[in-house]
Amino acid sequence: MLLKRACIVWLAMVLAACSQMPQQSYEAQVGEHFQYFPNWYHHNVGHQLYGHNEYVSTAQGALIRQADTAFFEDNWQACQIFLERAQRIAPRDPAIYVRLSYLYWVQMEKPLAIQTARRALSVVGSDAMAKDEILRLLAVIEQN
Amino acid sequence: MLKLSLVAAVIMAGVLVYIDAQVREKFEGKRWALPAKVYARPLELYSGLALKPAYLIQELEQVGYERVPNVVRPGQFAVYGNEMDIYRRYFSLYDGDEVAATVHLRFDQNTVSGVWLDGKPTDIVRLEPLLIGGIYPKHNEDRDLIQLADVPPLLISTLTAVEDRDFYDHFGVSPKGIARAMLVNVQRGGLVQGGSTLTQQLVKNFYLTSERSLRRKITEALMSLLLEMHYSKDEILEAYLNEVYLGQSGRRAIHGFGLASQFYFGKHIGQLSAPEIATLVGMVKGPSVYNPKRKPENAMARRNVVLDVMLEQQLITPYENQAWKLRGLDVVEYDEYQKVEYPAYLDLVRRQLRSDYQDADLTSEGLRIYTSLDPILQRQAERAVKSRIEEVERDFRLPKKALQGAMVIASTESGEVEAVIGDRNSRYFGFNRALDAHRSIGSLAKPAVYLTALRQDRYNLVTPLDDSPIKVAGAKGQIWEPENYDHKSHGTLPLYQAMAMSLNQATARLGMNVGLNNVVNTFKDLGVERNLPAYPSIVLGAFELSPFEVAQMYQTIAASGFKTPLKAIRAVTTANGELLTRYGFAVEQSIDTESVYLLQKAMQQVVKIGTARFLNQQFSSDLNLAGKTGTSDRQRDSWFAGFSGDKLAVAWLGRDNNDPMPITGSGGALRVWAKTFADLPLQPLYPLPTENIEEHWVNLEQFSLTDASCEGAVKLPFIRGRMPLQTQTCTPTQTKGWWSDWFGD
Repeated sequence: MLLKRACIVWLAMVLAACSQMPQQSYEAQVGEHFQYFPNWYHHNVGHQLYGHNEYVSTAQGALIRQADTAFFEDNWQACQIFLERAQRIAPRDPAIYVRLSYLYWVQMEKPLAIQTARRALSVVGSDAMAKDEILRLLAVIEQN
Repeated sequence: MLKLSLVAAVIMAGVLVYIDAQVREKFEGKRWALPAKVYARPLELYSGLALKPAYLIQELEQVGYERVPNVVRPGQFAVYGNEMDIYRRYFSLYDGDEVAATVHLRFDQNTVSGVWLDGKPTDIVRLEPLLIGGIYPKHNEDRDLIQLADVPPLLISTLTAVEDRDFYDHFGVSPKGIARAMLVNVQRGGLVQGGSTLTQQLVKNFYLTSERSLRRKITEALMSLLLEMHYSKDEILEAYLNEVYLGQSGRRAIHGFGLASQFYFGKHIGQLSAPEIATLVGMVKGPSVYNPKRKPENAMARRNVVLDVMLEQQLITPYENQAWKLRGLDVVEYDEYQKVEYPAYLDLVRRQLRSDYQDADLTSEGLRIYTSLDPILQRQAERAVKSRIEEVERDFRLPKKALQGAMVIASTESGEVEAVIGDRNSRYFGFNRALDAHRSIGSLAKPAVYLTALRQDRYNLVTPLDDSPIKVAGAKGQIWEPENYDHKSHGTLPLYQAMAMSLNQATARLGMNVGLNNVVNTFKDLGVERNLPAYPSIVLGAFELSPFEVAQMYQTIAASGFKTPLKAIRAVTTANGELLTRYGFAVEQSIDTESVYLLQKAMQQVVKIGTARFLNQQFSSDLNLAGKTGTSDRQRDSWFAGFSGDKLAVAWLGRDNNDPMPITGSGGALRVWAKTFADLPLQPLYPLPTENIEEHWVNLEQFSLTDASCEGAVKLPFIRGRMPLQTQTCTPTQTKGWWSDWFGD
């Protein structure tokens, strides 16, 4: 249970780091909870933990950025709608499925979160680091 | 006598109380059943979007935008060379409102290369979605509710001047009005004014039937008086403006000035010009006789009479009267493609809504239903089905209307249904073949058989399959003896070649070897919900599915084993835009990615060298399309299911009476698929290998591993640990053969 809470707090912090809103220092945001996710970082598939996200300058990049902002504002419905719009433009972008998986997870839809993370895994291609991080996400969801 | 009078008075009082209750109950309750309105997807515009400018123009015209030299107000667009200005109207969607704004687009041939919103560069903009139909109550009444504040004062002045000059003075019935109407009619030599007040007209339409009798006339008068007693003039007028019948569009009855403004002039009621107001007010007298679309001469004559009344009442000047009489009617001229409804798609929408909504809600609450229909794709598919059917009928000298067709197109990843064709005449409201024609699927079943094999440890793409004649005894002793289409046997060949060539004997033997129950389970995993019997003939598709069911099955293959229920609806809101239900993305992995990866590779060979190679001639090989043709026993059904990286489409042609046809899957449905996408962008299909996929050089003649330098060596993917066990060596100087072309190096 503690781990689950820690995961959710961590996610919120990660998204805070990604948003364009005024931000605290990285250390202050992450605090003690980061110990559970020491190496989670990938600019292609998920939210960057160190520094800001570098969204691709395309329509789907803009929609993903809006989705992240909506997520941070706890507007999960808007977040999902933005992600689904992005999916229509780039149906095989793993970043979309990773975020959808997060979204389902924090909404306690664990089975759907797992399936969506698996979908992310199936479209991530040969990027080994990204693959490892999606596997880590999958493991965290499955354990909690 | 006194007693009799008292009794009569009591009865009269009782009748009055009863009528009064009726009047109040209906007027204070929900006055109108508002049909649900169904919308297509909003078109999203962004840099990099492949979109022909001509298709965008078509969609804008369909939504009711006016092409002008320069845009000055919402609802207009202008084209300058490779650039376009759109003055977008305000509109609501389930995720919020989009404000009116100017959109500037730049095209690089058939791709959007730049987008600006109100002069500033932007990443993405949305255009308002096309209204594709409604879910109407039985009487098919449709209306857009308006409030009195929305209505131009000139419309109210003109309406009362023409229909009821004493509206603000009488108590529901106007003896003075009746007398004046008679006088005017005598002076003009015809029926120019009616004697009924607006209140009486409202009562007649709202409460009563069109029966002509003294009793009804008395009831009408009584109700009018009671209505005026209880409600203000403004309330009555607002009800009238929403109730009045103003023409017909097919099966849909146009009620109220709000909808009529949109329907005839493509405008919100507040934007109507004086002559347009005159045209609409003129229609009240006879919506059929003075219909500006169907009887423009009558409508123009009637409009001019109304303009004269406006002049008499000093609502317009003599100059305006003269100038406007010379104007055309300026009704929105819809081309054929603009009048469309989408009966097959609407049918799907209605069925999918049934799980969450009752019919009564759909036909009365004014719900807004947002779907994923793509009007551009739908139009191309409609044309493709119709034209291929006509070609076949002509080429084979078949009687006209001998053949029928259906098609379902969906997004491979999201499962959103983007087009549905249920009849060769796509405007036909009737039997929907896309959903209800359950037909033998023939070879479309084969991928499930090969997938069943690839899910088992002992099979890979080069596993040798025996295509010699086969006899299978049924449970009742009957013998099933399938033959290949060419009535020949093809010896022993690698699994994927048997699939590409759609060999019946090899597939039948494979199906028996992998286990019929396992094949049935694979169908279930692919999304076939029907209970299939484990008969030998199911491996060759001797069972019936609808095109929609086939699309569901192939969606799972196209999405690498991830099943997403096909859905037509994105969201439902109330009439006021409050979100009621959203149908979001959901996915479930039902088959391992590696097996489907191999299957997709094999299905790409069907297009590259197999029965669907026509597509390889018609489309760039870079698209790497995959698919499967299907022809049922005695050529009763022609099928093709194919997919790219983003679109899946299933096409079917056949006869309703199930008679044979002179075409196969390749000759019929495959051509429909090709015609549909000939002019539309597709994303390439790149099956992504997982880490469990390894590529190895193989000798196809020996069904064994070999060295890259050996003659005939071809590189093929395998699931780790499931490669051929034997290795064939060779002298390194030998060169690779034509097999290398199949999968490349």
